[in-house]
Amino acid sequence: MTKKTLEIYSVELSGTKDIQQTDNGNGKEKYRGLKNCFEPRKNHHKEELRKEVDLDDHKLSIKELEKKYGTNIITGLSSTQAAELLARNGPNALTPPKETPEIIKFLKQMVGGFSILLWIGAILCWIAYGIQYSMNTSSSLDNVYLGCVLALVVILTGIFAYYQEAKSTNIMATFNKMIPQQALVIRDSEKTTIPAEELVVGDIVEIRGGDRIPADVRLLSVQGCKVDNSSLTGESEPQPRSSEFTHDSPLETKNIGFYSTTCLEGTATGMVINTGDRTIIGQIASLASGVGNEKTPIAIEIQHFVHIVAGVAVSIGILFFIIAVSLKYQVLDSIIFLIGIIVANVPEGLLATVTVTLSLTAKRMAKKNCLVKNLEAVETLGSTSIICSDKTGTLTQNRMTVAHLWFDNQIFIADTSEDHSNQVFDKSSGTWASLSKIITLCNRAEFSPGQESVPIMKRVVVGDASETALLKFSEVILGDVMEIRKRNHKVAEIPFNSTNKFQLSIHKTDDPNDQRFLLVMKGAPERILEKCSTIMVNGQKQPLDKNTAEAFHTAYMELGGLGERVLGFCHLYLPADEFPETYTFDVDTMNFPTSNLCFVGLLSMIDPPRSTVPDAVTKCRSAGIKVIMVTGDHPITAKAIAKSVGIISANSETVEDIAKRLHIAVEQVNKRDAKAAVVTGMELKDMSPEQLDELLTNYSEIVFARTSPQQKLIIVEGCQRQNAVVAVTGDGVNDSPALKKADIGIAMGIAGSDAAKNAADMILLDDNFASIVTGVEEGRLIFDNLKKTIAYTLTKNIAELCPFLIYIIVGLPLPIGTITILFIDLGTDIIPSIALAYEKAESDIMNRKPRHKKKDRLVNQQLAIYSYLHIGLMQAVGAFVAYFTVYAQEGFKPSIHINIRVEWEDSNVNDLEDSYGQQWTWYQRKYLEWMGYTAFFVGIMVQQIADLIIRKTRRNSIFQQGLFRNKVIWVGIASQIIIALTLSYGLGSVTALSFTMLRPQYWFVAVPFAILIWVYDEVRKLFIRLYPGSWWDKNMYY
Amino acid sequence: MRRQLRSRRAPASPYGYRSRLDDQDEVNQNYLADEEEEAEEEARVTVVPDLEEEEEEEVEEEEEEEEEEEEEAKAEEKGQGQPAGNAWWQRWQIVNEYLWDPEKRMSLARTGQSWSLILVIYFFFYASLAAVVTLCMYTLFLTISPYMPTFTERVKPPGVMIRPFAHSLNFNFNVSEPDTWQHYVISLNGFLQGYNDSLQEEMNVDCPPGQYFIQDGDEEEDKKACQFKRSFLKNCSGLEDPTFGYSTGQPCILLKMNRIVGFRPELGDPVKVSCKVQRGDENDIRSINYYPESASFDLRYYPYYGKLTHVNYTSPLVAMHFTDVVKNQAVPVQCQLKGKGIINDVINDRFVGRVIFTLNIET
Repeated sequence: MTKKTLEIYSVELSGTKDIQQTDNGNGKEKYRGLKNCFEPRKNHHKEELRKEVDLDDHKLSIKELEKKYGTNIITGLSSTQAAELLARNGPNALTPPKETPEIIKFLKQMVGGFSILLWIGAILCWIAYGIQYSMNTSSSLDNVYLGCVLALVVILTGIFAYYQEAKSTNIMATFNKMIPQQALVIRDSEKTTIPAEELVVGDIVEIRGGDRIPADVRLLSVQGCKVDNSSLTGESEPQPRSSEFTHDSPLETKNIGFYSTTCLEGTATGMVINTGDRTIIGQIASLASGVGNEKTPIAIEIQHFVHIVAGVAVSIGILFFIIAVSLKYQVLDSIIFLIGIIVANVPEGLLATVTVTLSLTAKRMAKKNCLVKNLEAVETLGSTSIICSDKTGTLTQNRMTVAHLWFDNQIFIADTSEDHSNQVFDKSSGTWASLSKIITLCNRAEFSPGQESVPIMKRVVVGDASETALLKFSEVILGDVMEIRKRNHKVAEIPFNSTNKFQLSIHKTDDPNDQRFLLVMKGAPERILEKCSTIMVNGQKQPLDKNTAEAFHTAYMELGGLGERVLGFCHLYLPADEFPETYTFDVDTMNFPTSNLCFVGLLSMIDPPRSTVPDAVTKCRSAGIKVIMVTGDHPITAKAIAKSVGIISANSETVEDIAKRLHIAVEQVNKRDAKAAVVTGMELKDMSPEQLDELLTNYSEIVFARTSPQQKLIIVEGCQRQNAVVAVTGDGVNDSPALKKADIGIAMGIAGSDAAKNAADMILLDDNFASIVTGVEEGRLIFDNLKKTIAYTLTKNIAELCPFLIYIIVGLPLPIGTITILFIDLGTDIIPSIALAYEKAESDIMNRKPRHKKKDRLVNQQLAIYSYLHIGLMQAVGAFVAYFTVYAQEGFKPSIHINIRVEWEDSNVNDLEDSYGQQWTWYQRKYLEWMGYTAFFVGIMVQQIADLIIRKTRRNSIFQQGLFRNKVIWVGIASQIIIALTLSYGLGSVTALSFTMLRPQYWFVAVPFAILIWVYDEVRKLFIRLYPGSWWDKNMYY
Repeated sequence: MRRQLRSRRAPASPYGYRSRLDDQDEVNQNYLADEEEEAEEEARVTVVPDLEEEEEEEVEEEEEEEEEEEEEAKAEEKGQGQPAGNAWWQRWQIVNEYLWDPEKRMSLARTGQSWSLILVIYFFFYASLAAVVTLCMYTLFLTISPYMPTFTERVKPPGVMIRPFAHSLNFNFNVSEPDTWQHYVISLNGFLQGYNDSLQEEMNVDCPPGQYFIQDGDEEEDKKACQFKRSFLKNCSGLEDPTFGYSTGQPCILLKMNRIVGFRPELGDPVKVSCKVQRGDENDIRSINYYPESASFDLRYYPYYGKLTHVNYTSPLVAMHFTDVVKNQAVPVQCQLKGKGIINDVINDRFVGRVIFTLNIET
């Protein structure tokens, strides 16, 4: 055997590696697995990943095959042989993609985000204690406790995030469970059923219609077998199989059946030639794992945000460490300040909140049929700017449906909606009566039994797509088709074949007075017309003259131009004298006339778009999302569907359309005039990446037709080069690299293969494009709401940070303790920030452009400045007023606070004088300090309520949005108050928490500031609404 | 023409019944043949104006990209190990330009006008915020009396403190080395300056003992204070022994009760001081002389009316003279207040109603 490599298709991945598989041709086939090597290509601009399969079993004769695999097609393998092979080659199953070990996932949560910063805080605490201990062995354990609390916070939030992630993957796990597959195999000359996993190379298997092919098989004998290779090649048409070698390429040849494809009809016997990961599908599935997972936009945003906050925390911390040291503070004290600043700056609860928010949205989306595998993908969908959608099943209903009828020289439109409810065409004509009879009788499709209660459109039918369509169509209009067929007994039949291109059957009629036989025929319209000499118009036979033929052609062209599959129908009543009741029809000799028939009408079928899709596409359009159709179908069909769903809008034209309209050659058309483009896979193949980029930028409406699933990857990469966030739908195994490469891969829940579902970030449970759009809406909403949540959370950081800074510089008693800060971050603020996730959109979020990946950040300058320097400062001021009020009423007026710190904190000073000359012991002061903490805490809490309310909207007034529409907000506010009350009055006596009882009046000190915050924000929003685009809008809108 | 085009399409029209099966390929080829034809014809016509336009656009795009890159650079100035030298210089230039762009006269991506606007707005914002705070603090002070604290529960019951106090409650000194105890003497002397008999007689009144010295009348009236003369402390007054006994290993320690506005010990027996060894042998102290001999705080020194009006108030003292403490060993001493209404056993606060210190006198 000469060295021969067969190219089946090429897959472009990152463009750096080639995967090649070669046959070294030693007679015994040997797999080398997938090899990576560089191979520069001359005819292509860049190196591409190339996959070549050395399968040549399709070329071998049965004898050679038997020899090669040591088997016998009659007796099969012996069970010992089989066991041996099974042990050697492993089970016939795809190895699942490598999972990250749980412990790694857990550890990742422990060090991700702010955790590092908090770990540093905790370690600094312990170092501080170490220093203290070395100086004085009886030093207090406060710092150890604080360190432990910080560590605990990290671990708890880590566990929480891990749990959330595990929960969402669990949904997937249940989803992924496959039903064990069985295979009928000949072993030891006996037919046995074994689990498909136990198949080995050389096994002889039998496949029947409806089975999933259990491994790659070389077909040995075939009876009318058709397979659905769509999961492999993307072709939606059933592919006939035979035992002959028809093509060099193993993918094209008809004598090979592929693992995981489905046998639609017929039976076949085959020899297993590849199992498990060595099957074609297995190789592709392993390719998908080679495509790196792109980081989700929200992950980038959160990282960006973490960097900002961590940057602020570290730089302020270090700055004040230096200031503290230069103010002659001890290094130990400075370290403790540093810890305080870090803790104040880090929103400990935020990442957990974000996770909860995302999973809430994920749940909401699951209800709307978008199952999100990866939580972060929730938002990715919202920032999507290009959707590359499949046609079949996603945009369309994935079933042939009668769309148009032509009879009586008129085209009628049939209802193609999901339930066919209102068929409005004229049913009174005599032609229709004849036509309906032909449709009913000249049809071999049948409903599977036992489906009487199922709506007609949902019943399972045995038969091919067109016949199914006709059957359902007639069942809807005429009622019980099977009964009609029974009444018109079939006496002879010629099934459809590709040479005749027609189907014929002869029936007794149900009219007892009419003894004539009825011959009905359907088929390719031009063939049918050839056989006709008359045509039926308004129920009357008329000679078929030139005019009527012309009318027929016009109709035929028109319907064909709509991308529809057209069938012609004719009939003939056989004269009773020539064909008496006893006449025996012989289909082989054709002892009956098949010419000079009477033409009745045309019927055209299409896989119609889902009724919700046009709206969804319009929504996408107004949302600035480009919808690109990528299909394996014929360009004309693709274009027709694209037009009917609005992917190509009604008034835009392709270059070809313009040429046609202006009666000029395609080349003379100014390409700029065309908005739409229909590109075929062949054209795409010859395009350089630059040309593709140009295509993608210049045309707003693009349809890719006749593309292979591999080309999807090229399209996705092209889109990503435009800086777009790309969502890609896919169902086949071959789609999985594209699904992985895309920013968000969407797999089909019904039609999708497991490999596609594995590679995807999201699964569309109803396969409906419209669900993607609702997903986009949710994704955009979550981005807005996350912005609000973050703004809400960041605001109080200033109020927590200022006390430390002022404490260091002015030397007043510490206004708020580190533990207290943690109680705000992880206590009172958690539920309110989650509540913001339930906020409704402010305006129609589907009317604005998708966010720009680099410009519209989650946390932008405006948000940070407004939160930190406006509202945050107001909060700090309000909380300080509460703090000063408590101290002043107890005897320490603000003026005495300056530089009191050293004496205040000296536990040996037990007669510190206040403003009234009273003397305080250390513990009395400490208690007062805790009262200060509590007052400060309550001050922040009260103002956070106002902050929560103002964060409900970013532009609209709260009163426009409705104060009470989001009930969860009020739950959040109630939780804040209850937690604060519990901490103060319930746990006030636990000294370790440093909370105290607070006089009731102190709860209201910060209320004026809360009102001020609200009013200020309303004014801000008012100016934003009044002067859009102004300086104010640019600087104050976040 | 229209018809022609249609008929040209006609063979390509695939949706006859025949296309259902294997004719798909043929149809496809037809279609592709069409496309190829078109492509060929297209190639002959070169469209010059288009190209120019495209070029222009590309230039624009490039500019945008550059801007974006700049932004990125600004956002993350950290740099990621790119080829050093030139790249760093470029980065530095970009940062520099960001800080001050001479062409557009912009600093930090804002023009001077924009900066001044920002400064003005922030000035007004913070000024009004400050005004609000001032207003709040003003109202706060309106509600607070300058003579009497609003609440005094937190500072009651009174704490106890001793003198001399040198940032530690451990008295370690060597009798034969004056350097080790000199600072106690200085501290005591300083503390007792306000108690000098002459000063007390001049400023304060001699009020009757055994009863509160209540001065009714307006809050803002200055209040008189009762005399507490240094000489009351006898041997611990420093008058006879200017070293307060430290030179002989018999240290004097003064004890005072923390001042609390309006605090009145309960009527009857005055609050007494009693000291004993906190832990260890009771006999380590052996004898203590208290001055005044009653070892109590007379009622006439209460109530206290606050710093503002009770200007010359001097806290009453009790001096403890440890005349025969065990030497060369640390002796923990606890002095407690005893009397009606006095609390001296708060667990958390070891200075309410009591004080603990150690004496470690070396000879």
